[in-house]
Amino acid sequence: MAGGKMDYFDKSNKASLTVSRVLSYIFLIFVTILSLFSFYLLIINATRSHAQMATGFELLPKENFINNFITVWNDRNLYFIPQGMLNSFIVAACTCILTTYFSAMTAYGICVYDFRAKKAVHKFIILVMMIPTQVSALGFINIVNNLNLTNTYWPLIIPGIAAPATYFYMKQYIDSTLPLEIVEAARVDGSNEFRTFNSICLPILKPAIAVQMIFAFVASWNNFFTPALVLDKKEMLTLPIMLSIVRSNLNSRTGDYGEVYMIIFLSIVPVVIVYLFLSKFIIGGVTLGSVKG
Amino acid sequence: MSSTTNTVPVKHKSISYAKWGYFFIAPFFVVYVACSLIPLFSTFYNAFFENYIDGLTQVGPNFVGFENFVTLFTPRPDGRLEIINYTGNTMIMWIMGAVPQIIFALLLAVIFTSDRMKIKGQPFFKTVIYMPNIIMAAAFAMLFFTLFSRVGPVNQMIQANGGEVFDFFNNKWSARGIIAFINFLMWFGNTTILLMAGIMGIDQSLFEAAAIDGAKSSQVFFKITIPLLMPIIIYVVITALIGGLQMFDVPQIISSGSGAPNNTTKTLVMSLNAYINGASKNYGMAGVISIYLFIITGVLSFIVFKFTEPKKGGKK
Amino acid sequence: MKKRVVSAVLASALLVAAAGCGNNNNNSSSSGTTTTTTTAAPSNNSADTTTTTTKAEEKTDDAAAPAASGVSIATDTGKKLRIGCWNDEFQGFFEKYYLGTKELHEGQGDYYDKAPGLPEGVEIEWVTTPSEGGAYQTWLDTNLVKNASASADDKIDFFLAEADYITKYADSDYTLNISELGLTVPSTVYDYTVKAASDRNGNVKGGSFQCCPSTIIYRRSIAKDVLGTDDPAEVQSKLDSWDKFNSVAAQAKDKGYLMTGSFQETFRVFSNNATSPWVTDGQLTIPDAVNEWKDQAKMFLDNGYTLKSDVWGQEKTDQMYADGKVMCFFGPAWYFNFCMTNAMDPEKGCSGDWGICVGPQSHFWGGTWLLAATGTDNPGLVADIIKTFTENQDVLEQLIVVDGQVPNSTDLVAKYAADSTYGSDFLGGQNPLTLYNTMTSSIKWENHTAYDQICNEKFPEKMLDYFIGNCDEATALQNFYGLVNESYGNAVQTP
Repeated sequence: MAGGKMDYFDKSNKASLTVSRVLSYIFLIFVTILSLFSFYLLIINATRSHAQMATGFELLPKENFINNFITVWNDRNLYFIPQGMLNSFIVAACTCILTTYFSAMTAYGICVYDFRAKKAVHKFIILVMMIPTQVSALGFINIVNNLNLTNTYWPLIIPGIAAPATYFYMKQYIDSTLPLEIVEAARVDGSNEFRTFNSICLPILKPAIAVQMIFAFVASWNNFFTPALVLDKKEMLTLPIMLSIVRSNLNSRTGDYGEVYMIIFLSIVPVVIVYLFLSKFIIGGVTLGSVKG
Repeated sequence: MSSTTNTVPVKHKSISYAKWGYFFIAPFFVVYVACSLIPLFSTFYNAFFENYIDGLTQVGPNFVGFENFVTLFTPRPDGRLEIINYTGNTMIMWIMGAVPQIIFALLLAVIFTSDRMKIKGQPFFKTVIYMPNIIMAAAFAMLFFTLFSRVGPVNQMIQANGGEVFDFFNNKWSARGIIAFINFLMWFGNTTILLMAGIMGIDQSLFEAAAIDGAKSSQVFFKITIPLLMPIIIYVVITALIGGLQMFDVPQIISSGSGAPNNTTKTLVMSLNAYINGASKNYGMAGVISIYLFIITGVLSFIVFKFTEPKKGGKK
Repeated sequence: MKKRVVSAVLASALLVAAAGCGNNNNNSSSSGTTTTTTTAAPSNNSADTTTTTTKAEEKTDDAAAPAASGVSIATDTGKKLRIGCWNDEFQGFFEKYYLGTKELHEGQGDYYDKAPGLPEGVEIEWVTTPSEGGAYQTWLDTNLVKNASASADDKIDFFLAEADYITKYADSDYTLNISELGLTVPSTVYDYTVKAASDRNGNVKGGSFQCCPSTIIYRRSIAKDVLGTDDPAEVQSKLDSWDKFNSVAAQAKDKGYLMTGSFQETFRVFSNNATSPWVTDGQLTIPDAVNEWKDQAKMFLDNGYTLKSDVWGQEKTDQMYADGKVMCFFGPAWYFNFCMTNAMDPEKGCSGDWGICVGPQSHFWGGTWLLAATGTDNPGLVADIIKTFTENQDVLEQLIVVDGQVPNSTDLVAKYAADSTYGSDFLGGQNPLTLYNTMTSSIKWENHTAYDQICNEKFPEKMLDYFIGNCDEATALQNFYGLVNESYGNAVQTP
């Protein structure tokens, strides 16, 4: 497989290959440090008390991890932190499932069927992909208010069905990986179109779905803008709003940097777990692309 | 897009199934219209009305034609036009972050997709580079704010080495630089993943042919990889551009919403946010800024397409 | 009596330290009480709550009684008491003195026995929205407007408001006249607290539990070094005009100290003494007093008398530790508990090394008012709560002896001002109320508009660019005007 692979690193010249390799490792180690450095500081800070935080940065963890956790657990400005994590999880999980499923479905519809509006539809989606969400935020809140949907999760989850950027990625992926002969064969076997999509197409799209699921999950999990417009009931709040509440108390008596970093810690951990779980698909997805090529 | 040709052979067979296409795209469109398109037009519609709250008294909506547009493009008495200033800030900070972001991502993608390099621990590196994207922008902003504040560890280090305290957030280039760096850090892994997928999707026979022809690696990169990667690069640039124009939480938190120093880190969406969520809920002005943002995005995306399209159709 | 205050201050310092650091082992009792936000009061406590509950109902009936003659008061139907607030300061007092949460009284006497408690079956919901970036007001604006038509559990019953924006709500139809609640203005409250809560026709819309005369809070050791004395009266004589204040700043600098910890530190003193409002007939004009502050702040920064920190910033609060170099802070009684935790730190702090004096100009800062929301479905209960925190002298006395506040009671403040055994350990034994009592008469509620908050918060912030040379003065002013335009739309015209 390696023989014809695209490769910028000249095989014939051993010396230059070694140099490239050394440089690559240096670069990768640099990038790794860059990526993990913030994680490290955030986690260390979650183990330090408010007073310890005032003394600057430290490289070794302190003993206040549990205390910070208790502070978060007991903070009456927040409803109850596990509830917040659950809320965030519900919203992010539903959004990422809807986003990936319906984007794949839309992309499949465009790729597989040859209907009249097909080209126009594709162009339209590419066009609207460029519209920043904030642009329509104003009208969106009005609709949410008029339909009495404040303090529900519908306005956060349902729009996920229409995710132009995810659609675009899926379209690219289907174009290059899904042999239409398979769809044909399924039809011959009498498979219903939706069943073909669900049972034949989706498994092939797994890597793309994994990539977009993690992207969509993280985007929704960390979203502050829309939830802040829609939610104000304590028991409904998601983690980014809880973080902002605790952050805004920083200037007062109850302000506690330890608590703030603990919330950040709690908001990172579940995503890291989801990510590590999905990451083998992401890496695998790339490999699969190469096999197919 | 390179392989849309795949659809050609099955075209005639799929005709009877065409109507299914509409079923498959229907949910997307229904939701898009309800959640984005109608709000979008109603936002634009607002731009033609005087509509805000004075204290607790609702003023308007009164139809005022293009008055809000005039207000937006009326310079301040000292001749400065704020909206242009905010556009400039947004673009500058975007470019400062997006250029290294795309360069890093390309380099990483090239390293990861090379078999000859035999990089050990690839899964580890690939996993790690995406991790910063997991952290909330707010957390990043806070962390860097503390790191670089006048009493923060960076300044403590500077002082320990006999230097003067440097006020990072009151110097426009260091303040913008930190904001851009955070954006870069958050997004380069994401871009790498997309580019890797793109590189792996390139038809490998092209490289074989190039190798047989004795093409140099730099030639392969610029003559084959880049042109073939164009669709995905366009995608990356445009999504980065959209992300850049939406830049909000990082500068908002770093400057506590003020856009300090001297409004040089204030972005378009920060201004939009001030109108929507500010004391007056000035929907009229928010509508105008939304239209402006919409047009800017359109123009920039068009430019990106224009610049990249000819190369994509490229020969060789 | 003095002993009690000392222990109270100690206890609150402990509590604060526990909340602040979270590494204190004996904090389990103090933070353990805060688990729930939505608390059904009766279930919260032991058997004695039931009795207090009945008491509350009787009280509620009392409050409603006079109404039968004149105004008709709707009876309480709500099962949820929904309260809007921006932090938990009042919530703490409410839980202590209205709900009678026993744990909060540990080491502070047995007042919980006398707390009325909530009627059976009524739940409380505190809706806390940070005031940062005006979010709290946005929340109020959105919800007050639809309060009358909101479902029972979504109705705001009452909410808290600060001095900077109370006018906006008091002078609107979205707050209830206290006479509609069957309340009258108690004779013991300070006039300015009534004026602040009144609309333009003089209808009173609520009340405050505190009075907020604000003073210089100086470091005794630094004052001794710079002025040769730490006696409040003598320090005052050397700081009783801005000229003297400025020249002392130069002396402090020579000795290696800073006069203030933030260039914004004196802003409230100037703005509070302004002789014209920020906005007149929809036109923004910067008051003369604010311009005077601008000149002083520029001079202070140029000469290194102060720091670039904002008034809440960590850079400034770090200076409250024992090794701090700042001589003067400005603030009222709530400032000690709320912002001076670093000074109270048992290890790095310097409790006892502080004194207070009026300074160049008398002023007040902040204050929290309780306003009943139009549409409340618990008017009787709300009336009783407002009454408890503005009129009940026992509760207000607790605020002095336990919490170190200045309550909204002329009688109590006068009483403790004259009590030579009352003193604050934090202030090195000084009786703050003696000083506050002399200042309260000069507090006036004048020149307030609905636009004050953003002006007061953003003007100093935007001027910093000019002070430190990022731009010229005209540009900094235009940046400020631009921000006012963004915030208030056509309602406020700027130069």
